[in-house]
Amino acid sequence: MSSRILPNFDLLVPNSTSEAVNLLAHYQERAAILAGGTDLIVAMKMNYESEILISVSELDGLDYIDFDPSSGLHIGAKATVSQILDNAEVKQYYPALWQAANVFATPQIRTAATLAGNVLRGSPAGDCSCALLALGARIVLQSTEGKREVAIEDFWTGYNQNARQSNELAIEIIVDAPQSATGSAFHRMTRVNEDLAKLNGSVRLDMDGKICKSARIAMGCVGPTTLRLPKTEKLLQNEEITPELLAHVTDMVPTEISPIDDKRSTAEYRLMVSGVVIKRLIEQAATAAN
Amino acid sequence: MSQFSVIGKSVPKVDAYEKVTGQPIYAADLKMQGMLYGKIVRCMEFAHAKVIKLDFSEALKIPGVVKVLGPEDVTQTTYNTGACDEMVSDKVGHLLGDLKDQTIFTDHVRHQGDAICGVIAISEEIAERAAAKVIVEYEPLQVFMTPSEAEKPGTHQLHPDKANNMAFQLPEAMFPGNSYGWGDADEAMKEADIIVEDDFYVNKQKQCQMEPHAYIAQVDGRGRLNCWSSGQMPKITHQKIARLFDMPMSMVKIHSTTIGGGFGARLGIIAEPETCALAMAVPGRPVKVQTLREEDWIISESRHAGDYWMRLGFKKDGTPVACQARFKANTGAYFTHASGVPFTTGAWLSGMYKFGALGYQGESYFSNQAPAGAYRGYGNPQTNFVLEQLIDRALTQLDIDPVQWRLDWHKGVGDDGWCFGVKYPSCQLSECLKQGAEAIEWNKKLAEFKTQTGTKRRGVGVSVMNHTSGAMPMLLEHTVTTVMMNEDGSAVVATACSDLGQGSHTVLHQIAAEALGLDMNEVTLKTGDSDANGFDIGSHASRTTYVGGNSILEACDDIKKQLLERASKHLDTAVENLEFGGKTIFAKHNPENSITTAEICRLGVYNYMDPETGEPEGAPGQIFGFSSHFAKHNSPPFGACFVELEIDTETGEIELLELVHTHDIGRTLHPAMAEGQMVGGAQQGIGMALTEEIYYDEQGRAVNSSFTDYKMYGSSDMPKMKVILVEDPDPHGPYGAKSVGEAGLTSPVGAIANAVYNALGIQFKEAPITPEKVLKAIKENGLNFA
Amino acid sequence: MKERAIELTVNGIALNITVPVHQTLLDTLREQLGFTDTKYGCGTGECGACSVIIDDHESLCSCMALASTLNGRSITTAAGLASNGLNAVQQAFIDQTAVQCGYCTPGMVVKSTSLLRKNPNPSEEEIRKELEGNICRCTGYDSIVKAVQQAAQSFPESDTQWDNAVELKAGANS
Repeated sequence: MSSRILPNFDLLVPNSTSEAVNLLAHYQERAAILAGGTDLIVAMKMNYESEILISVSELDGLDYIDFDPSSGLHIGAKATVSQILDNAEVKQYYPALWQAANVFATPQIRTAATLAGNVLRGSPAGDCSCALLALGARIVLQSTEGKREVAIEDFWTGYNQNARQSNELAIEIIVDAPQSATGSAFHRMTRVNEDLAKLNGSVRLDMDGKICKSARIAMGCVGPTTLRLPKTEKLLQNEEITPELLAHVTDMVPTEISPIDDKRSTAEYRLMVSGVVIKRLIEQAATAAN
Repeated sequence: MSQFSVIGKSVPKVDAYEKVTGQPIYAADLKMQGMLYGKIVRCMEFAHAKVIKLDFSEALKIPGVVKVLGPEDVTQTTYNTGACDEMVSDKVGHLLGDLKDQTIFTDHVRHQGDAICGVIAISEEIAERAAAKVIVEYEPLQVFMTPSEAEKPGTHQLHPDKANNMAFQLPEAMFPGNSYGWGDADEAMKEADIIVEDDFYVNKQKQCQMEPHAYIAQVDGRGRLNCWSSGQMPKITHQKIARLFDMPMSMVKIHSTTIGGGFGARLGIIAEPETCALAMAVPGRPVKVQTLREEDWIISESRHAGDYWMRLGFKKDGTPVACQARFKANTGAYFTHASGVPFTTGAWLSGMYKFGALGYQGESYFSNQAPAGAYRGYGNPQTNFVLEQLIDRALTQLDIDPVQWRLDWHKGVGDDGWCFGVKYPSCQLSECLKQGAEAIEWNKKLAEFKTQTGTKRRGVGVSVMNHTSGAMPMLLEHTVTTVMMNEDGSAVVATACSDLGQGSHTVLHQIAAEALGLDMNEVTLKTGDSDANGFDIGSHASRTTYVGGNSILEACDDIKKQLLERASKHLDTAVENLEFGGKTIFAKHNPENSITTAEICRLGVYNYMDPETGEPEGAPGQIFGFSSHFAKHNSPPFGACFVELEIDTETGEIELLELVHTHDIGRTLHPAMAEGQMVGGAQQGIGMALTEEIYYDEQGRAVNSSFTDYKMYGSSDMPKMKVILVEDPDPHGPYGAKSVGEAGLTSPVGAIANAVYNALGIQFKEAPITPEKVLKAIKENGLNFA
Repeated sequence: MKERAIELTVNGIALNITVPVHQTLLDTLREQLGFTDTKYGCGTGECGACSVIIDDHESLCSCMALASTLNGRSITTAAGLASNGLNAVQQAFIDQTAVQCGYCTPGMVVKSTSLLRKNPNPSEEEIRKELEGNICRCTGYDSIVKAVQQAAQSFPESDTQWDNAVELKAGANS
C-alpha cells in the first residue's frame, strides 16, 4: 500500500510445526509465511498482497545453529542472520557465509531476518544465498506428507520462483560439511556500504596442497537467479592456481553470466568486473584453505 | 582566557535534551482533539498528463471518509512554493520574469507527484485506502525531461509566458547581454596562451532530510487558520498562506514545529496550502497530513541539475585572463527558484578568482521533472564541480601546482564579492589553503603519487569556495528582534529565526546571553510563533547567525542603552562614566556605586510610590528592546577542501581516505556546531560527487525514490575527517562571525573530482562519478595501471 | 484473525493490548500507545529512525515488525533507555553535540545503547559498522561516533532499567 500502511490480511499464529503444515495444506497459495518479515512486510508496503499470513513467531525449536564436522551446518528456519554472524563455528568453517552475513543489510534487519527467508526469497542479489550456493547446501521442506530435501542448485527455478510447493514449510538449511582443506570467500560490490549488492560472488575451493581439487563458484545479480559458473569451475578442477590460470578464469567468467542494466549498475560494468571479482575470491579462498 | 563568557564555547545545545529523549516535537508527533487525517492524492503514473475524469464516488462510500476535495473545491489562486518571490520587489520580480504558477490541486499534471485532490477521513488508514479508491483518468501528454528537449520547437510549452520553456534568463535590463561579469571576456580570451573548455553535467541531488514532511492545519473557534509547519521561513509562510486564502495575516497563525532537517527542502512551502485547504473544509477540526518517504523525492524541491559549459583562458605563467560560462538549469515543472539558482551559480563563480574578464550566462528551463529549488549551496556546488576541475586541467598543462595557483589568484579583501560593489571585508583563504595543505601533506603526497605503481592508485585534490552570510543586496535581508526584560532581570528574546537542526537557536541564545551579560538559562529565546515574532526572512543563504545575530545584538544594545540611562539617574553618574558589567552596572571610578540590572528591571515594573517621599522608587516602565535590522553586509566566508582517495583501477571503485576541510569562519561562536556543519556538509558534498542522483525512466517517473536506491554515504563510508577553522574576526559579523552552513557541502565536490583527476589523469564531466563511469573511462582511454 | 490480544512490555511496563494484525510495532507505539519518541523515517527498514531495542539487547526496526507477532516480548524506546533522566549514551550525545535536527536521534541513541550492551568496548570501525542501519543527514556521523566512544567509557555493565521495571510492574498491577 505505502510505507506507512499495510494492506489487510488474516493472521494465523500456529504453535507447532505440525499445526503450521496443516494450515499450509489447507490454505496453500492463499497464505504467505511470515518469519522475520524484512522482505515480506516491505513487499506488502509496496504492491504485494496476501489473503493470509502464517506467522512462525510462536513455533519453538527452529532457531538453532548446530555444526557437526561430518554432517555439516544445520540451521533452523528461524535462525536469524544475526545469529549466523555471532556463531564462531560459522566464522571458522564457513567464512563465505559469515562474510555474507557480515555485510547483509543492517544490524536491525539482521536481528529479524532469517537465513531461510533469504534463501526462500531467492533474490538474485541475495548475499547469503550466493554464499550458500558456493558452499553447497540443501533446503529441508516439510509438509503434511513428510519431509524432503532440495539441493540449493535445484532450488531457485526462475526469477523470484523456487521449488517450494505451496503446502510446504522450510524448516532447515543444511550446509555441506567442509573438507580438510576447504576454503571459502564472499565478496560483493555496492554503491555504498549499506546497500543491496550490484554484484556478488562466492567461491568454495577444496584444496589438496597447491592443487584445487574442486571449486564451486556462485555469482549473483547477473541473471534471473544466483548462478553457478560451471565452466569456470571446470577450469580450476585439479589444477594448480597460477596467475595464468587466473587470467583464463577472468576471461571465462563473463561468458557465463547474463547481466542487465538496472537501478544499481549496468550490464557493461558487471561484465567488466565479474572476472576480477572471481579471481580475487579464488585467491582469498585458497588462502583460507591453508 | 577567553574574553567571552559563552561565545566560543561548545555549550549544550538548547534542544539537545528534548531530542535525545524523543519528546513529541515534530509535526507528526502532535495529536489534537478531534483530529482528522488528510491524504493528498498525487499522480504517480504520469509525468505529464491532463486529468480528464475525476470521480470521488467510490472513495466517499468508505466509512470514515469525511470529505474529498478537488481543484474546484479550493482556491484557484496561484502561488510559488519557493520564497524568493517575497525577497525581491515586484518590480525586480517582474524584470526577472518570476512566476506564481502553482495551484493547490491541478488538472494539468506537470510532473509525477502533482497533487490532484485531497481526502479527509477519521484515520490515516482510511484516508489512504479512500485515496486509492479515487478514480482518476488521465490523457498522457508529451514528456520532456531536459533543457535541450524543453527548448526544441514543438515541445509542449508548460507556461504561456515562457517561450521554448525557458523559464528564466538573466534579464537584459539588469544584466547587459544577459551576462553577469566584468570586462569583455570574448576579447580577453584572445590574450590567452592556453584555453580549456568543456561541457559538464551536474546532477539532481535531493536533500533527504530525515523528517518526512508533515503538517497540521485547523480553523479554530475564532475563525483563525492555524498551521503547524516545519518550514524554514515561518514569516514568509505566514504571508503566503494569508495571501493564498485571502485572509489578513492577523487571521492566520503559523506554529513552527521542530524542523527535522531542511537543507533547502523546506525553504518556502511544500504541502501547507493543501493541508490548510483541507482544514478549511472542516472548520474546527484539525487535519493532519503526513507525507510518505517515497513521495519526498517527488514532492519537494531538489538541487538544480543541468548542463554547465565553461571556458577558461590563462597566460603561460598562470595569469587567469578570462572566464566564460553558461549554466542551463533544469528547473523542473514549476518556476520555484528558476531565477535564483541560475544567478547565484554565476555569482559564486565570479566571486572566486581574479580573472581579467568574466562573462556568465544563466538560464532555467521547465521540464516534467519534480521542481528544483533550494538545496544547500544553491548553485555553488555546481560551480565548484566545473570551475575547480577546469582550472586543474589548465594547471596540468601549465605545470603549476594547484594549491600555489589558488594562493596566487583567489580574490580577497577589497575585491568584489559575489555581488559586485560589495567588497570582501575579510578573507583568510590563503591561511586555509596553507593549513589544509599541511594537514593532508599535500606536497609529499603529490610527489609520492607521481611515481606510484600498481592497480590501486591514489590521488589528492584541492578545491576552494566562497559563499555568503545572508543574501543582501540581491535579496531582502531583514530580521526583527524584540527583547523583553523580565522583572528579575532575565530576558526573553523573540525572533522568528528558525533552527533546522544546525543549532541557530543555540547560537542566537549564546549571542543574546553574551550581549546582555546573562547566563544561558537567564535568557529565553521565543521563536516559532507568528503572533509573537516580528519579521525574519528565515533560514537560507547561511544568514541566520549573521543577520539574526546582528539583529539580536542591536536589540540588546537598545536594552543596554535603556539600562545605562536608568542606572545613570539612579547612581547619579553620567552614562559615559558607567560600566555595563552584565548583571551589574557600576561607576567606573567608584565600583561600589552600583545597581543590579535586576533591580532596575524590578523597579521599572513594580514602580511603587515611596510613601515618605511621594515619589516612585525608580525609573518607570518595563524595558523592551527592539531591532528591525537590515543587514549592512554579507561578509562572505571562504574555504578550502583537500581530499585524498584511492581508486581500484580494476573495478573503478573509489575509496575516500581523508578529507580536510578548512574554513574562513571569522570567529567560531560554537566550535562543535561549526564543525558539525562542515562534516555534515561534507557528507552531502561527497554524495553529490560520488553517489547521489535522482534517476528517471523514459516516461519521466523517478526510478529511485527510496533509500534502497538513492544512496548516501553512511557511517562506515565516511572518510577520516579533519576540520580546521581559521579565525580572523570579520568587521561586520556578530562577534566577528561569518557563516558556515553551506560551505561544508560545496568544496568537497570539486576536491573529490580533482583528486580523481590526480589519481587517473582523467576528468569526469558528469556527476556523480560512479565506478561504472570510472571503469568505462579507464578502458576507453586504454589506461593500464598494472 | 484480524485483531490479536498480546502482552507487550514497553519500557518496563507490561501492557495487555489488542492490536490490529496488520499494524506495525511503530504504529502500535506511536498511534495506539501515544509513545511518539520512535519515529517514522522511511517505513521500509532503511533509515533506522524507528529503531527499538527488543528483549534488552538487540535492535529492531519497528516499522517492519508486526506487533501482533511480538506477544510476550519486551521493547525499549528512547524514552525508556534510562528509568530516570538520561543514560550514558544520551548524555554523551548532548556532550558531543551529536544532535542536530534530532530526527534520527531517538533511533541513534537506541541503536548505540544496543551496540554497547552487546559490545561494551567497540573500536571506531565496529561503531561505524553497527550504525550502518541508521541514517543521519545532518552530522556526517563523526560527532555521533565520538558520543558512542564517550558513552563506552562510562557505560555500566548492566545498564538496564529492569530493576525499576519490577517496581513499575507492581505499580501497574496493584
